[in-house]
Amino acid sequence: MGRLARGDREALAPLMERHHRRLYRLALSYLRDPDDALDAVQEVFVKAYQNAARWDGGSEVGPWLTRIAVNHSIDRYRRGRRRLAAEAPLDEEAGDHDPRLSADAPSPERRLLGREVGERIASALRGLPERQREVFVLRHYDEMTLEDIARTLELSLGTVKSSLHRAVHRMRERLEGLR
Amino acid sequence: MSSLFHHRWRQRTSLLALGALAGDEAAAAQAHAEGCPACAEDLARLRQTLELAALDPVRRAEPPLGMPALLARVNARVDALARNESAHRPLQTPRVMRAAWLVPAGALAAGLAAFFMFRPASTPTAPTTPVIVAERRVAVPEEMLGRMERSVAREQTARYLDDAQDLLLTVTAPRPCARQTRRVDVGQEAERSRDLLARRAMLVGSGGEDVASVRPVLRDVEYVLREVASLPSCARERDLQAIQREVSRRNLLMKIDLMTRELKG
Repeated sequence: MGRLARGDREALAPLMERHHRRLYRLALSYLRDPDDALDAVQEVFVKAYQNAARWDGGSEVGPWLTRIAVNHSIDRYRRGRRRLAAEAPLDEEAGDHDPRLSADAPSPERRLLGREVGERIASALRGLPERQREVFVLRHYDEMTLEDIARTLELSLGTVKSSLHRAVHRMRERLEGLR
Repeated sequence: MSSLFHHRWRQRTSLLALGALAGDEAAAAQAHAEGCPACAEDLARLRQTLELAALDPVRRAEPPLGMPALLARVNARVDALARNESAHRPLQTPRVMRAAWLVPAGALAAGLAAFFMFRPASTPTAPTTPVIVAERRVAVPEEMLGRMERSVAREQTARYLDDAQDLLLTVTAPRPCARQTRRVDVGQEAERSRDLLARRAMLVGSGGEDVASVRPVLRDVEYVLREVASLPSCARERDLQAIQREVSRRNLLMKIDLMTRELKG
């Protein structure tokens, strides 16, 4: 990151290699569209390069990138939602859910269930207040510790715990019946 | 048990279900749940929910592009923004930032703006949001600028697909390499593929929503271009044949035809 701050473009490759997958999943959990998520990851690294000089050398890069990714995904999601609201009825908002699967993807039956679950989760996540959604996404998709979530979102540990508690209960209510 | 006290345990139960507690905290929460039927039921139901949520394919999703292509996109975008900055464009306006490649549209917009400014004063004007375009301090209706952006996005995408199709056709009839058997000369094609991939990066950064229906084809084209771009200048015949099979399997040439026609209206 220090190299990037000095304008060394070559430093982008190792940084991206280390973080692009998890940032892609984070963005995908918000946007639910592989192309949009990829565009979001691209913009995260562009922003990282442009703002590298402002990066505090004492802090970790991961949470900083995560913060950029979450903010960018929320902005992009809001823009998309405004567009959808103008163009399509609300019940079509879920869109086509088609994330790419890795080689260790489950069986077709599990994938079918996974697709249904994915759509329900996307819908349940959309119903969460923003902060609850952020903490749930970072825990569920990025498996971050509570302390890392607090650091990334600049929240107190207590706020992270209570937001996560509320989020998971809300998710349970919304996912109930999907067995 | 007071409700506040119980609420704290409920919170810990949620965190336990999420696997977010460790050590003594986890053990204490587990012990409490074992002696509290309501908490135990809560814990079981939350775990069921989270097991279900773990099936979300997003948790295992892989980016549809490999690192080299993504890196090329990021580099192209950084370059474009740097060029923009050096041309003193006002980057703080998101619309203008997205439209870094819209030089022709900017010129057209300026012309239209001049028309609006100098037409007879008696002409009634509709209330519009003024947008400052490039370095000319002239106002253009935002809706009009939006239409032009979309139109240019479609044209650029169509041109890109045309060029990609041209390249894919060239790849189907390669020249043999001098003094090497079973090898074909694809140096120029690989170079052109890299250029096209850089152009693709610019398309993604701007006007993406306006060409949404073309995205699956753009993705397929990008996949094949990456394959070609990764070939050495004197490539093995069988590597090229594999690419040709992929083009054929995806019906790519036909799809490009259909999409460019749609984009050109």
